[in-house]
Amino acid sequence: MVLAELGSKINHALRNMGTASVVDEQALDACLKEIATALIQADVNIKMVKQLRDNVKRQVQIEDLAAGLNKKRVIEKAVFSELCSMLDPSTEPYELKKGKSNVVMFVGLQGNGKTTTCTKYAYANKRKGYRPAMICADTFRAGAFDQLKQNCTKAGIPFYGSYTETDPAAIAQAGVDRFRQEKYDLIIVDTSGRHKQEDALFEEMREIEEAVQPDCIVFVIDGSVGQAAYDQALAFKKTVPVGAVIVTKLDGHAKGGGALSAVAATDSPIIYIGTGEHIDQFEHFEAKSFVSRLLGLGDWHGFMDK
Amino acid sequence: MMKTLNKKINVSGQAVLEESDVRPILEALKEKLVSKNVAEEVAQKVVDVVESNVVGSRLESFTRVATAVTRALEDALTKILSPGRNINILQEVEACRRDGEPYSIVFIGCNGVGKSTNLAKVAFWLMQHGMKVMIAACDTFRSGAVEQLRTHTQRLGVELFERGYEKDPAAVAREALKKAKEEGCDVVLVDTAGRMQDNEPLMRALSKLINTNSPNLTLFVGEALVGNEAVDQLTKFNSRLIELSPVGQTHKIDGILLTKWDAVEEKVGAALSMVYISGAPVVFIGVGQQYGDLRRLNVKQIVSVLLK
Ligand SMILES: Nc1nc2c(ncn2[C@@H]2O[C@H](COP(=O)(O)OP(=O)(O)OP(=O)(O)O)[C@@H](O)[C@H]2O)c(=O)[nH]1
Ligand SMILES: Nc1nc2c(ncn2[C@@H]2O[C@H](COP(=O)(O)OP(=O)(O)OP(=O)(O)O)[C@@H](O)[C@H]2O)c(=O)[nH]1
Ligand SMILES: [Mg+2]
Ligand SMILES: [Mg+2]
Repeated sequence: MVLAELGSKINHALRNMGTASVVDEQALDACLKEIATALIQADVNIKMVKQLRDNVKRQVQIEDLAAGLNKKRVIEKAVFSELCSMLDPSTEPYELKKGKSNVVMFVGLQGNGKTTTCTKYAYANKRKGYRPAMICADTFRAGAFDQLKQNCTKAGIPFYGSYTETDPAAIAQAGVDRFRQEKYDLIIVDTSGRHKQEDALFEEMREIEEAVQPDCIVFVIDGSVGQAAYDQALAFKKTVPVGAVIVTKLDGHAKGGGALSAVAATDSPIIYIGTGEHIDQFEHFEAKSFVSRLLGLGDWHGFMDK
Repeated sequence: MMKTLNKKINVSGQAVLEESDVRPILEALKEKLVSKNVAEEVAQKVVDVVESNVVGSRLESFTRVATAVTRALEDALTKILSPGRNINILQEVEACRRDGEPYSIVFIGCNGVGKSTNLAKVAFWLMQHGMKVMIAACDTFRSGAVEQLRTHTQRLGVELFERGYEKDPAAVAREALKKAKEEGCDVVLVDTAGRMQDNEPLMRALSKLINTNSPNLTLFVGEALVGNEAVDQLTKFNSRLIELSPVGQTHKIDGILLTKWDAVEEKVGAALSMVYISGAPVVFIGVGQQYGDLRRLNVKQIVSVLLK
């Protein structure tokens, strides 16, 4: 994940600055440039990187006013808090409630891993004692229902779908009604891949959302998506109330910076990451503990309790 | 900054470009490339080359430095994106047909990039040109992969060759090629499972499929949405194929099929990253989810979008 590797790069940049005899504007610029390059190489949105640079500079200038402060410390702290706020949005993820039918709907770009992730999510919660069931509201992609069916069969999870009905909202509604009646406590709705350039597909997503009234909408994003991530994620958020993010395919070499854009655009936390094609290659993600692990990598001690 | 941007001819009529004139302009241009989703490493390399080309050269009369530098970058981008070798699939298929051999294309790439869908689009395109097509279902791993292709082949009215799941994909491909020859098919399109470039067992399995079947064309399917990861994907897919080739043969990425073009608007940089890293031309771009959504890359247009 992006910040794990970045941690060491950023430390390197800060250490370099530390060797400069005076921390002047120039040293700060050089340091920020190094950090910015590392972030851009990890696919963090270029506008967010610019903002980070500006914010750090502004913070440092303000702090300058108070004489006698350790400048390096001020800079380090500013960089760190900017990164934390990128990863850790202000909102809390939806907590599943026992004893009620939680409806969770998955949305995202084409091929980003929604169907696979739905199954992983169902399976992970099944092991926690929930009774999950899955609905295929993708009537578009060839073989979509078979894919979900085969996944569910392997994982022992009940499923609902149709080969003939063409309206995904109708399927979703019928599936949710049925599983509610059968007292399943976690009802997962898988949807087709879509992107913001196709109005009709976004309208369809809104209709499904309206039909099933989900308790939580999960935006699934492939960890290798680059600069287009922010605008796409924002468009999803503007159409339906996304409440959580899952980043997939982090078993590759991808640094997942595009996912940080998705966090920013949807103002939603990352709740899990996908690390492989198999059902158990799925890790719970908690921004706060991730950040504190990151602290362990570098010289960040002392910032946390502030 | 404004001073250098406006630097014009001197009294003698010409000015020699210096690093200090050029650098700030190139830095801004690099940022533009990166914002268009060109991988950072690739953007840096390209502007470095442009810098070394223009520094020391003479500025033509009445030209601004910025104009000269941008023009040099435009040329560099055009050169990178213009294919060294041209792949004319229809001609190559004709040549094979005369020898009575089916022409084979293998579609490879990472998970979910659009291999199977764009394979179906290529089948549609070939059929429009009167070719008899067979599709070989060699993704024997991912749930629904076979049914996905079955749906496409039924809609298109082409033959599907499949042996279900959990079979050795290399063997399935071999059988398909044999059957296609017996049946007088012109083209066999081989679908493969998605895989990560760092997954060694899966990369070996892919190499085996290619080595044992020696396809006429190996198409890397990449998505226009991918960012810096494009560099690593192309580098490793290409190098693993080359390294694992048997003695006396070299298999590598012959061409690129760039998908989800319709989802990126002006952020077209992945095309540059992928071509720069692999040296392989973009054979098709995928511009949607319908069978007709396959296009040729328009180099001139991309270059102008990258510099806009
Ligand atoms: N390596 C790896 N592959 C993954 C991961 N998650 C999903 N995949 C693969 O990515 C590909 C696409 O996954 P799907 O679940 O079909 O994606 P989707 O978003 O449902 O696709 P559409 O419904 O077509 O939009 C499949 O090959 C999956 O096996 C992951 O964490 N790691
Ligand atoms: N918008 C858009 N979507 C595309 C394009 N090409 C493919 N897709 C979609 O991307 C998703 C994944 O496509 P697949 O063809 O299943 O991808 P794949 O590479 O075969 O996936 P795996 O076999 O699981 O690795 C599907 O929802 C396709 O409809 C394209 O050019 N534009
Ligand atoms: Mg799906
Ligand atoms: Mg496929």
